[in-house]
Amino acid sequence: MRDKILTKLADLHSSHPWKMLTGAIIVTIMFAFFAMQLSINMQMKDLMPSGDPKVDQFNQIIDEFDTATSIIVVVQGEEQRIKAFAESLAPRVVELVDTTQNVRNKQKILELENKIGTLRDQKKIADLQTQIKELQRRINFKLFQRVDYKTDTDFLSNHALILVKEDDLKNTGDTFSDPNLVGLLTNINNSLQKEYVEREKSMSTRDKEDGAVGFLDGIESLSLLLEQAVGGEELTKDEVQRTADKFLLGEPYFLSYDKTTLLLNVIPNFTIMDRDLLMVGFEETQALVNNLLIQYPDVRAGLSGDVSREHDEQVYSQQTLGYTSLIAMVAIFLLLVISFRMWVAPFLAILTLVIGVIWANGLAFLVVGRLNMMTALLSVVLLGLGIDFAIHIIAGMTEWRAAGDSIQEAMRKTFVKSGKGIITGALTTACAFLALLVSRSRGMKEMGIVTGVGLLAIMMATFIFLPVMLVLRERLVEYIRKKRGKTIVKKRDITFHSIGTAALWLSKRYVFTLVVSAAVSAILIWAALHIGYEQNYMKMEPKGLTSIALADTITEKFDLSMEYALCLTNSVQESRELAESFRELGTVAMTNDICLYLPSQKEQQQRVPYVREIDRRMRAASVKKTYSVSDLPKLKEELERLEMNVMEMQDMAFIGGQDKVDNKCKQIVGDPENPDAQSIFRRLLEKLESQKGDIALQGLTNFQQYFAPYFKEKVLKMCSTDPIKLSDLPVSVLDRYSNSARDKFMITIYPSGQLWTDADMLNRFVDDMERVTPKATGTPLVAVAWLKIAARDGRNAILLTLTIVFLLLWADFRNPKYALIAMIPLLLGVFWMVGIMQLSGMLLSFMTMMGVPLILGIGIDDGVHVMHRWLNEGKGRIFTVFSSTGKAILLTSLTTMLAFGSMVFSVFPGWAWFGEAMFIGVGACFVTTVIFLSGMLGWFERKT
Amino acid sequence: MKKTIVFAVLVFSFTLSPGQDLTGKQIIQKVNDIMNVETSWSKSKMTIVTTSGNNRTFVSESWSKDRGEKNLVRYLEPSRVKDQAILMLNNADDIWAFFPRTQRVRKLASHAKKQKMQGSDFSYEDMGSGDAFINDYDPKRLDDEKIEGYDCYRVLLSRKPDSDLSYSQLIMWVVKDNFVPVVIDYYDEHDAQRVLKRLVASDIKVIDNIPTATKFVMYNKNDNTQTEMELLEVKYNINLDDEMFSERSLKK
Repeated sequence: MRDKILTKLADLHSSHPWKMLTGAIIVTIMFAFFAMQLSINMQMKDLMPSGDPKVDQFNQIIDEFDTATSIIVVVQGEEQRIKAFAESLAPRVVELVDTTQNVRNKQKILELENKIGTLRDQKKIADLQTQIKELQRRINFKLFQRVDYKTDTDFLSNHALILVKEDDLKNTGDTFSDPNLVGLLTNINNSLQKEYVEREKSMSTRDKEDGAVGFLDGIESLSLLLEQAVGGEELTKDEVQRTADKFLLGEPYFLSYDKTTLLLNVIPNFTIMDRDLLMVGFEETQALVNNLLIQYPDVRAGLSGDVSREHDEQVYSQQTLGYTSLIAMVAIFLLLVISFRMWVAPFLAILTLVIGVIWANGLAFLVVGRLNMMTALLSVVLLGLGIDFAIHIIAGMTEWRAAGDSIQEAMRKTFVKSGKGIITGALTTACAFLALLVSRSRGMKEMGIVTGVGLLAIMMATFIFLPVMLVLRERLVEYIRKKRGKTIVKKRDITFHSIGTAALWLSKRYVFTLVVSAAVSAILIWAALHIGYEQNYMKMEPKGLTSIALADTITEKFDLSMEYALCLTNSVQESRELAESFRELGTVAMTNDICLYLPSQKEQQQRVPYVREIDRRMRAASVKKTYSVSDLPKLKEELERLEMNVMEMQDMAFIGGQDKVDNKCKQIVGDPENPDAQSIFRRLLEKLESQKGDIALQGLTNFQQYFAPYFKEKVLKMCSTDPIKLSDLPVSVLDRYSNSARDKFMITIYPSGQLWTDADMLNRFVDDMERVTPKATGTPLVAVAWLKIAARDGRNAILLTLTIVFLLLWADFRNPKYALIAMIPLLLGVFWMVGIMQLSGMLLSFMTMMGVPLILGIGIDDGVHVMHRWLNEGKGRIFTVFSSTGKAILLTSLTTMLAFGSMVFSVFPGWAWFGEAMFIGVGACFVTTVIFLSGMLGWFERKT
Repeated sequence: MKKTIVFAVLVFSFTLSPGQDLTGKQIIQKVNDIMNVETSWSKSKMTIVTTSGNNRTFVSESWSKDRGEKNLVRYLEPSRVKDQAILMLNNADDIWAFFPRTQRVRKLASHAKKQKMQGSDFSYEDMGSGDAFINDYDPKRLDDEKIEGYDCYRVLLSRKPDSDLSYSQLIMWVVKDNFVPVVIDYYDEHDAQRVLKRLVASDIKVIDNIPTATKFVMYNKNDNTQTEMELLEVKYNINLDDEMFSERSLKK
């Protein structure tokens, strides 16, 4: 039956090559259309099993929370310049629109409107009208809804004090009772010297440190402004008021601790799943930033965040796959030219391969829709595997034509003799890949189906396209020969005698061969069992991607990991309780949730008496209009006291290991270890001493006239005790922490350490999150869950693959012993692969681990071919078996190694490691096959 | 830093032989007795991890009186904090600090037992300040176990309902030969299954006829940090004036 089909197909090729070619081209165009729709999604969550609760929660957050997807613009430079840059950029970003789809959308609208005119069914009309509305919305689509780069000071101005914790109100409440400079300084000092009261156990060191740095920041700004005033500089009302605001409400901009980096969080009107908008949104923003940078040559700015990362990975993954595939194809082509000593047939083989990969990609689109981090390697994997089919067809055709057969006869023989082997080999490998379908994870499952189906697609392309091209080539060659009067076909011996000689030598010394094989295997198995696992996931990150480099900058400058956990809650109360539990964890640096702006009613009520007392005292305080000489001693005393208080804070911070507080204090009172470092207070006091009294007093009075009334007014405004309700919160806050229906709330939990450089930290963070609630999600949790699932899937896939391969071979050889013998080199090859990796200093990673089930499918071919040939040739033909089949398996192994080896040039280290591992694995399987099977077959022949 | 730093172990009585069948209460009583040295002086070295992830090592002198109720710590190194001093009274309920740069003494906090001790992974209550092991926990002897190379009694200390200490329970491994607690596990206040910290004491030396653990590592499993402390020199039962443990004497 199989022979009949193959013969029929061979005849079709030799008799109707042009029709077959036309058919192949049509099919290729069709698949190319689908292949072009194929995109790559590099998100970890797409590898997880569908329906996984963590992924569902993650997707729900992405769908419902605009802020879950963003572009982060990282601006670096001098503080005032980066603030100016941000102020220029923000309004322009929100004006950006997508015009790339306008023409297409307008045309579609026109088509739909025409179609509506022809319809009577109201339901269909309504459907089309909905589609039109959606298309109209996409015309000049506003890409971004807003840019977050400053805190909402209006809300804080009205409710700041009711948002302060009760203990902090107790400790620092006095600070707000006098608006006059000397009184304020006295109150600050009294507050700093007050015995510290703390009941808030869950406040992390990070929160305390940030609070202290924020407070010191306000002191620094105030002191610097005073220095200017006392020095006789003219102060503007605006800058004095800005300083008062900063002292009372903190720094409004999202500035790093050292004030050299500012972040703008650009919130889009699309999600990370809207691939087209994502690409346009990124590119438009990048263009805008680049244009603005021309006006700010002293500022540096770049894009980070998940949108940028997705864009960069999309672009780089496609680029890297493009050039690694090209490298692989060129290398394979050269190898075939050298081994076949001709160039036309290898060229046709490569062409067939390209067409096969197009078919495979088209099918991949139809089967899974988009590629993921694992299946993105499809093309390269198939390049290595698919070329084998072409090699067999070319070798067969060349052999039979050289033997003098006609084109039709040679094609028939090639199909019947090589075709069966190709089909069996392809089915075995495809079955091994399809075994991955038992996996729980989508990543593994898709890897299995995409690679298995892809391999069959390449096989089909090889059976349909390559023979046609070979027939046409043979016709052309025949025509040229006839024209030149030549009839003798040049014979080529394409066997490799050296492999045959080596195998024969090894088979004759089978004891030596088997003992050496066992000894080398024992060493490599020992090494394989001692291989480590790459704990630093950052090493898998591509080098040179701006979005990733800037994520590192954010981590360094803001001391905050960009990889955080998320938790979706159904109420503010649930959010409050869970955030409280998260904050108590040692692995958590800080949490962001709506309760920062919405304390419970009970908490608010507890704070009211303290706020009212501040209000009462501030109302009673009178604003001093001028400063006189008699005020100076007290002012100097308080400045000296403040200097001492900051110095003591600095010393306590040094002993307590709070580096950020220590560094901030250094900026204010100098570095105790650097005698040249200056204290702002010292400079201020010296100016007060040295300036003529009038200038200093005038400066102080100027400062006072702007500062005191404004400070009083601001504090009184901050004293509002009206209960804060959800509906009172500004939209920017609500959007950040709740969905549009305002019935779901999001908590963001930042880890206290780097998750991707420390696997132990990652696991502890994830364990802690899950202990608090199973609802916690986010990339770190999904990654850990996936690794666990992938390990289990990988183990199951390996066992199933081995079983399937064994059963297929048993059926093929009709003898379990032969099936087992064919499999031993494969098993040894896998251990050799891992052992060599260990000895060469490589580590396992989730990408290299993925190679193990793949190598089982790929490496089995070597043993199968040798065993088949040995059984066909009969006893005493080991030299012939290895000279001929040895060459075939060498060539197929080398082509596969070249395909995987090309991935070493990938910018994604994870893919490069995978390529290296597979390169070693395929090579190891070839070597174990030649050595072990030579010895084994030699022993068999001696025994019988 | 009182006995928390010294952790000196004094065997008051050898009347009970190691093989004798002791109850958990008797073992903890012995531990409590030997840990509460009347007076002591020590020089120690402690390494902490700063919030930037760097190691910082301090060398300090400590004096302890009234079985650890009063403690004075004076820093020797690094030079930046030389002569800075911390006074803890009432079992660390009241803490004062002296700053040589400003020549001022400041009261820092009250009721700070649960706070971290100077950026370390130790808190003031970790070492059973006062008679905490006796007064705040109910002891129960568990199966003996060999740990860190020592044959030990293993005792579970469950927090009494009226206690306000931070740990739901402790498990202590006490060396049978000398009643030195070589390992203490501290359990989460809300989750009695979760170990928050583990203290491992080692290098037991006999100083002034008293077996004394001279190296300590506190592993903080919650923060994944650790603090190492080493006693460089120790003296017991020295004469210490009450005046030494006053705000006035801090400046000296």
